[in-house]
Amino acid sequence: MSRSSSQRASQVLQGQKRRRRQWLTFLRMVRYGINNFSRNAWLTIAATAVMTITLLIFFATMAAQNVLRDSVDEISNKVDMSIYLKSGTTETDAKTAISQLQQVDNVKSVRFISSDQARADYAEESKGDATALEALNEANNKFSAVLRVSLTDINKTDPLDDFVNNNVALKKIVNPDKKASFSGDRREAIKQIAEWTVLAQRIGLIASGIFIAISSLIIFNTIRMAIFSRKEEIQMMKLIGANKSFIRGPFIVEAVVYGFIAAILATAIGYGMLVLVNNKLGGSGIVLQPTIDLVIGYIGFVLLGMICLGGLIGIISSLFATRRYLKI
Amino acid sequence: MILLDRVTKSYGKDSSKPAINRVSLHIEPKEFVILVGTSGAGKSTLLKLLTREEKPTSGKIVVGGIDYDTLKDRHIPLLRRKIGVVFQDFKLLPQRTVFENIAFALEIAGMTNREIKSTVPKVIELVGLVGKEKQFPHQLSGGERQRVAIARAIVRQPKILIADEPTGNLDPKHSWDIVRLLEKINKYGTTVLLTTHNVDIVNKLKRRVITIEHGKIVSDQLQGSYRQ
Repeated sequence: MSRSSSQRASQVLQGQKRRRRQWLTFLRMVRYGINNFSRNAWLTIAATAVMTITLLIFFATMAAQNVLRDSVDEISNKVDMSIYLKSGTTETDAKTAISQLQQVDNVKSVRFISSDQARADYAEESKGDATALEALNEANNKFSAVLRVSLTDINKTDPLDDFVNNNVALKKIVNPDKKASFSGDRREAIKQIAEWTVLAQRIGLIASGIFIAISSLIIFNTIRMAIFSRKEEIQMMKLIGANKSFIRGPFIVEAVVYGFIAAILATAIGYGMLVLVNNKLGGSGIVLQPTIDLVIGYIGFVLLGMICLGGLIGIISSLFATRRYLKI
Repeated sequence: MILLDRVTKSYGKDSSKPAINRVSLHIEPKEFVILVGTSGAGKSTLLKLLTREEKPTSGKIVVGGIDYDTLKDRHIPLLRRKIGVVFQDFKLLPQRTVFENIAFALEIAGMTNREIKSTVPKVIELVGLVGKEKQFPHQLSGGERQRVAIARAIVRQPKILIADEPTGNLDPKHSWDIVRLLEKINKYGTTVLLTTHNVDIVNKLKRRVITIEHGKIVSDQLQGSYRQ
């Protein structure tokens, strides 16, 4: 009994000793990795620079996707259908039609604009046009009340068209002289832009995949070259009895440090570029502000994601690169 | 301590000209053995077989009681920790100081920092490098670098020290310093296997000399000299 308990105690002690040794080995690998990083200045700068470019491409790609999406949304929001109602129709008269309209597939929102409001809007829009204002003052014809219907997907208008043509409640109040229209003549142009933007988004996704693959290959080769330049060192370590994980460890730590620094640099540069482009292209229709707000709002997650990505590329590259020198 | 029984090593598919051809050899513990032979005779291959950088095509190798036939790949690092190796080109870690280079051999074996701090200075003193602990390899002379390499090889107190032409890159004075150091290590009980081309060293040491030619042992003398 006492013999078995002493055996158990010795096993526990050995286990503790082994864990302490593993922890010590891990700390040493980290120290060597950081030492290698700080003592190989040129290699460090080159590898960190390439890693920064890789991560910057990734950041820019993600930001561009977001900007494109926001720009499409912005365009979509500007496209709405105007259903002209009989002059003098009030919101109460149109209540049934509005509530039924809101149930139609793909309808995002419905806004009622009274005749007076429509007149006021026109006056506001024609502020610089003296002739138009004069005509407006002299004219006694009343403006039509309008229902402004905006859609979730501007390429899908069939359900709304069907509703406009067939709904009984709407037919009672609709102005028979004015056909419902999609942002007047601009509709086709806007639809075209939206289609092109969706296409650009798809192309951007493919292009960014290719960019990321190429830049990953470049960083892989840079780390491979860095390890190749130290292949004798690896062989020596093997010959004096270092096991594979002890040899690999510092290279992996070094690559993770590249990734860490590169992630911070790439995020800072990427954010700076977004702000700069936003200042230059403000008002051109390209919507950057939500992306900037997103980056700032989730800066912790963005940084963590970039660091994880950089670290992952570094780990995979160094694992592959050291593998060939670690046979026997 | 070292036993080779009809060991053959061929490279590639051509087995008609093996680098090592049915070599049998027995080295006792605490022996000082010099291995000589022309370039390409098979000395380096023999050493690579001992450090398990190469596997023999046939034959049996037993070093320090370890039978290489039953040795698994994952245990090779443990074997190498029992054998000290010194190379002609030193093979030091260029980014690490003298102290760190020597300590590295202990770190990979999982020794604690306290053990390392007490062991390394003793070895530094033994090889005569006191005061150079913080220098990097490029700041040292060839002789000093070789001393660091020897210190790294013996710091774990191996039973066997293999020195592969350790004087090949050194001038005569430094060469003799290294040889004297190896003799000192041998006196402490380590088996030393030295390969060299230096006739003067071989002839003056009066130790066991094994001559190898075309992959075969052609002479094995207890107090031998260099065969011309």
